[in-house]
Amino acid sequence: MNTRPSLFSLTFSLPLLIWQLAFFLFPLAFLVALSFWTVRNFQMQPDFDTVNWIKIYSRGVFWDAYFRTLLMASASAVLISLLAFPASYAISFKLRDSVKRWMIFILIIPFFTSYLVRVYSLQVFLSDAGILNAFLGYLGLGPYPMLNNTFGTLAGYATLCLPLVILLQVFSLNFVNRDLVEAAHNMRCGRLQTVLEVIIPSAKAGLVIAALFAFILSFGDFVSPLYLGGGNPPTLSIMITDITKSGQQWPRAAVVALTMIATLLTVAFAAIKFAYREAGK
Amino acid sequence: MLDTPIVHFDNVVKRFGSFTAVEKADFQIARGEFLAIMGSSGCGKTTTLRMLAGLEDPTEGSILLDGEQINGKPTWERDTPMVWQSLALFPFLTVQENVEFSLKMRKVPKAERRERARKWLDRLDILEFADRNISQLSGGQRQRVALARSLVTEPKILLLDEPLSALDAHLKVRMQSVLSSLQKDLGITFVYVTHSMSEAFSMADRVVIMSRGKIEQIGTPEEIYREPHNRFVADFLGSSNVFSGRLASDGSSVWTVKAEHAAFTVKAPAELQRAPGANVAFAVSSENMSLAPAGASCTGNCVEAVVVGGEFAGASATVFLETDQGQELKVQKGHDELKSVDIRAGQKLLVHWLPEHCHVLPGE
Repeated sequence: MNTRPSLFSLTFSLPLLIWQLAFFLFPLAFLVALSFWTVRNFQMQPDFDTVNWIKIYSRGVFWDAYFRTLLMASASAVLISLLAFPASYAISFKLRDSVKRWMIFILIIPFFTSYLVRVYSLQVFLSDAGILNAFLGYLGLGPYPMLNNTFGTLAGYATLCLPLVILLQVFSLNFVNRDLVEAAHNMRCGRLQTVLEVIIPSAKAGLVIAALFAFILSFGDFVSPLYLGGGNPPTLSIMITDITKSGQQWPRAAVVALTMIATLLTVAFAAIKFAYREAGK
Repeated sequence: MLDTPIVHFDNVVKRFGSFTAVEKADFQIARGEFLAIMGSSGCGKTTTLRMLAGLEDPTEGSILLDGEQINGKPTWERDTPMVWQSLALFPFLTVQENVEFSLKMRKVPKAERRERARKWLDRLDILEFADRNISQLSGGQRQRVALARSLVTEPKILLLDEPLSALDAHLKVRMQSVLSSLQKDLGITFVYVTHSMSEAFSMADRVVIMSRGKIEQIGTPEEIYREPHNRFVADFLGSSNVFSGRLASDGSSVWTVKAEHAAFTVKAPAELQRAPGANVAFAVSSENMSLAPAGASCTGNCVEAVVVGGEFAGASATVFLETDQGQELKVQKGHDELKSVDIRAGQKLLVHWLPEHCHVLPGE
């Protein structure tokens, strides 16, 4: 087999390669270099010093933020997937084709407005005197604090991820062979059990990748934890801005950013490996 | 109990909107019989099977399984395992787990499940692949997994929806004999849907021929082959030539049937009454027709026809001819018998056959 890429394939793949090199690999390499620089009198200078890594990794505050962010992103991925699945299942399996197309269109609409705008509007819903609490008060309940806490952050993550997760789930469920569902029914597998025993395993790869997207988007998100979660205690992305604002500590921010990238890569590879694992030998 | 049919379709109708998929299906399936439902695509054969499996509900009429009315009973409450055309094996399970699936749904304990599944894998010669993934198996091996998966619960009836259509010709013949002997050994009822006449006629005890939602004929392969009920069946089998005309005289042993340009002498059917002047159609098997040079003396029935082509494959040859009226004829003969006539295209020949080889189509 000829392993040298042809001119034809290069013509199409080269622009992407150049783009990736220029805007991902070079900045990443620079970020690695930056993490070894030092700051004197609010001035960065090229250096090779592990002081930033030691400083960040020896702080309890960093690890608190790290595990909180990891936990929140995982919770976001799991909760949003669970919340999305019934809707995706209904869209893929139960609706007529014409209704299906409308539902998919409705799911795309949220992307028309900026995420920041949507998060600000959520404040109107979630604040103590907001729409939701006013409604609950009308029923004689509450008020419940929904803003500036974990609930607020997760509500924001859902705004960010839910439409995308539903879309990804719908597309993966659409690929489930309908014969498998009937065959399961034919072998005494009831409706709910078929969802658990056949539909979810069949669509596993797509469902895991949808959850992975929710994890990635939530893990790096800055807007929801700040404007809906209150920013205190901080997540890693809030921590990065805090570090850069206080005394030009870009090298230490680079350490945090690199830790995030390493975490995302690890999680993504593990998820994809899990998603495509096959039964048997 | 043993004499009651295992399945009874009682005037079953299935409509999808304004489209009638199955029209007044009324037949019974005997215990332990191998029944094939045959027809071209869209004839309603798969819908009939799916109604029996509980995957579709009849619009009218009722279906009885073991004497019990099963309309409206969901498929997961019936014991009617089916083998899909696509096989519908679960790709996320191993071979063993696939076969165990329906036992697991029946809450059979794990050890027993395993043992029963292995017994069937062994019986179908695929035990060595038990721990493999489905994607690593060949078409024939997958076929066996699908069979094992459906038979593991030891049902009284097995439904098969064109299970062999994805296999190549060589494997198809092998699987046909596997299926036949399996059915005989187990003694369970097989309902087999196919569009292939060779599959249906080589395996089935009885064949149901369907067209456009209607059942055209039910009978043993031999009955259908020798005595097609109507023109559709005769044409579908493709081995007969059909002639039609009006009954001119009905003698006790022979009828005279007058067509536009010819008159035929036809053996009178034993159990059929027609008034003179009534329309009559009869079929003549292409093997029972003979060829002679044009102008030869005529015994029995004769028509003149021009050779349009031929097929010379295997032990016999098929000659295609066309009469002056545009009717196409097919004559199948051994090579020796064809030596005496010139069968080049364009040659005018005399096609002749005996009255006793005419089968009057009772359904026309």
